[in-house]
Amino acid sequence: MTDRSRIALMLAPALLVLGGLFLTGLGLTLLRSFRYMPALGLTEPDLAAYTAVLTAPGFLRSLGLSLWIATASTAIAALLAMAAALLLRQSFPGRALVSFLIQLNLTVPHIVGAIGMLYLVSQSGSFARLAKAAGLIAGPQDFPALTQDPWAIGIILLYVWKELPFITLILLANLQALGEDHEATARTLGATRWQAFAHVLLPLMLPGLMAASALVFAFAFGAYEVPLILGAHAPKALPVLAWQAANDTDLAARPEAMAMAVLIAGIGLVLLALYARAARSRHVD
Amino acid sequence: MTTLALHGLRKSYPGAGQAAVHGLDLTVASGSLTALLGPSGCGKTTTMKLIAGLLTPDTGEVTLDGSPITPLPPERRGVAMVFQNPLLFPHLTVAQNVGFGLRMRHLPPAEIAARAQDMLARVRLDGLGDRRPSALSGGQQQRAALARALVLQPRVLLLDEPLSSLDPGLRDEMRALIRTLQQETGITTVVVTHDQSEAVALADRIALMLDGRLAQHGPPQDFYRRPASQAVARFFGGTNFLPGRSESGQFHAALGALTLPPGAPEGAHVLTIRSEALRLRPGPNPVSARIDAVTFLGTQTRVTLTAQGVTLQALTTPDEATSLSVGAEVTVSLPPEALWLLPVA
Amino acid sequence: MSTSLRTLAALALMAFLILPLLPLAVWSLAQGWRFPDILPAELSTTAWAYALSPQSGVLESFGITTLIATATTLIAALVGLPAGRALGLYRFRGRGLVVLLLLAPAILPGIAVVFGLHGILLRAGLAGTVAGVILAHLVPVLPYMTLVLAAVFSRFDPTYEQQARTLGATPWQAFRTVTLPAILPGLLTAALFSFLVSWSQYLLTLAVGGGRVQTLPLLLYGFAAAGRNDLTAAIALLYILPGLLILALTARQITGRNTALVSGARP
Repeated sequence: MTDRSRIALMLAPALLVLGGLFLTGLGLTLLRSFRYMPALGLTEPDLAAYTAVLTAPGFLRSLGLSLWIATASTAIAALLAMAAALLLRQSFPGRALVSFLIQLNLTVPHIVGAIGMLYLVSQSGSFARLAKAAGLIAGPQDFPALTQDPWAIGIILLYVWKELPFITLILLANLQALGEDHEATARTLGATRWQAFAHVLLPLMLPGLMAASALVFAFAFGAYEVPLILGAHAPKALPVLAWQAANDTDLAARPEAMAMAVLIAGIGLVLLALYARAARSRHVD
Repeated sequence: MTTLALHGLRKSYPGAGQAAVHGLDLTVASGSLTALLGPSGCGKTTTMKLIAGLLTPDTGEVTLDGSPITPLPPERRGVAMVFQNPLLFPHLTVAQNVGFGLRMRHLPPAEIAARAQDMLARVRLDGLGDRRPSALSGGQQQRAALARALVLQPRVLLLDEPLSSLDPGLRDEMRALIRTLQQETGITTVVVTHDQSEAVALADRIALMLDGRLAQHGPPQDFYRRPASQAVARFFGGTNFLPGRSESGQFHAALGALTLPPGAPEGAHVLTIRSEALRLRPGPNPVSARIDAVTFLGTQTRVTLTAQGVTLQALTTPDEATSLSVGAEVTVSLPPEALWLLPVA
Repeated sequence: MSTSLRTLAALALMAFLILPLLPLAVWSLAQGWRFPDILPAELSTTAWAYALSPQSGVLESFGITTLIATATTLIAALVGLPAGRALGLYRFRGRGLVVLLLLAPAILPGIAVVFGLHGILLRAGLAGTVAGVILAHLVPVLPYMTLVLAAVFSRFDPTYEQQARTLGATPWQAFRTVTLPAILPGLLTAALFSFLVSWSQYLLTLAVGGGRVQTLPLLLYGFAAAGRNDLTAAIALLYILPGLLILALTARQITGRNTALVSGARP
């Protein structure tokens, strides 16, 4: 057996499973989004579903909301994670506990975090109770709406809470691989602590940060259960809207759900390209 | 020109029982090229990092021309360090790497470019400034790292094992380049190495560190001819050690009485003679011995002998060794001028 | 940064990390915890007792979720081992494409795949079955397992196998006695986190299971939507238990250098 055919044989089962489920699934979604559903007598593909989706104000508002959630969550989580990674690289009392909590957090499913966040920051949550006890508010309605709110603050808080540890661990692994010699070299070449960070460490960490951020963005953009629990009734986050359309009793709405899924996949593909590029530039060096 | 001095420098790491550097005193003469030599784990790299300011000593002080620099952060010491790996910053071009330190000082970009260009030419990397470090060979990367440090005109230049990551063929070239640049610039330079032949070939002075302490400091020849201790002699390849007593010019040991060179100290000592100085023919201080083994080493041949129960090693030319056979009795001689007395233990 | 500033930052970080979990712990023991009480008037184990009783269905759900995650992990390991080996040890044409195909399910939002996946499994007669859910979970789990194993294999020196073969081992013996022990720590860690990835799935289970396969997160959402805070909290804590266990088993590996492990360690 040649090397090539042996490699092909080793890869075949995995490719079959993923091809059969993932790629075929995507293909099927694509077909249906063009309203090609022979079972329902639709055999003439068209773009009606896309037209309907893109002209509906609900869709655009949901798209905007989901982009806002993903952008804000990613930016805040990335920034805090950078600080946390730099902190955890040094030694201080309680470092072991912090790294334990960070790892613990990584294993907590999103839905649990979302419920915890709901009980913490909703208008009848723990913070509201504390505010009442401190005499800051008279009743739940006076507490700022942080869940089911138009700015999706609760959702963003949850993503920051959940993804900060993820980015931090990636950056820590990154920092560990880099070692401290690059910074030390910069210092002996006359760079101050801050200059060594800005001119050497930060550029070296950037590919890892970008790759991790792309993953976080994709997740915050496309996750369903978090906005389901913490999100407002309208506008809904895009995944919630798409799920609702797919389960609409009106069968005509289903191609629209498929069109939304395809649009979400398109944005995901852009992020995938971004991730692949960042990951590649990380491996070149 | 700058004199570098270490006073009672001590550094231990948490968890490690023994200190890495044990009260080190060393003065590196202005403009000299000094090799800090020692086996791995003897505290050389720790010493370098203490000088560079990357570590803080537990006690002791580092001074440049008499003024202490120990409280200063690395960037304000005027001490540049080249690490064992070139550690060129991968996100910068070669020229940007060389100009890095000047950029940290906020020099005008045009001047940085010009000086980096000039320095690149001096390490024979002209025309490669626009490349990424990964496009350079190992030897080129090491030269770029050297240029990056030299362009700052540091008061002290530290080189940590600058040759160890290079192929043997490139080492001679790099060694010559370091020597030339050091002589041209006159920068006080300390080179860390674990290889005694490299230290001998490169440096004007050698500081040998053993177990975190300075074992001997002086010109390279001294380490062969006048080692300070058995440990120093062994590190430089010494194999013949003979305990005994020195009395009025004679050394009394298992081999009988041997004539010592004039001025030899009195009392209990260990006598040593380098194996290349031991003669395999009759002469002064003759001793009869039996040949135990003859080992061909290429340009030299090692002869192992036993005399009065004492094992001796001699190095000779392969030609001279052809007449020797294992088991034969021969008369060897230990020329008095090649004998050296070491303290006991 | 001074030590006191560092300690302060660490405390803030710790508080942030632990805060959302605290109300869950309190709610699970609360008996009627009305606004504006800061702590419940009365503590009780009623919620726990109910959650652990047969009529709540929590234990049954726990069992189904465990079954699905275990089966998914085993299949992913069997299928991912050869693929991870090919990716970790060989450079071949099309390797980049394979990696991209593996990364895609990790990055593309589940909602983008879930409708098509449901369509396929419906046609195969597997919608609404545990087997269907296991297949659906393979979409995120298999790529994760394969990529981690590729990283594990890239640190394995295959000349050890050749050495074993020259000493008379069959290919299977060489794998069994030389390769497997070498990759076992990586394989086990990958398996534990694959288990967790499957364990945390919500949308795929909901879509493919169609409500007939009640895993813990689905049950959890049901109680949360019904406003049973005490029960929800108790189930939520039960739900994070395996993660804690896995963390205790692997704490050392995950702080280490294995970026691939971390990259995938998210549902």
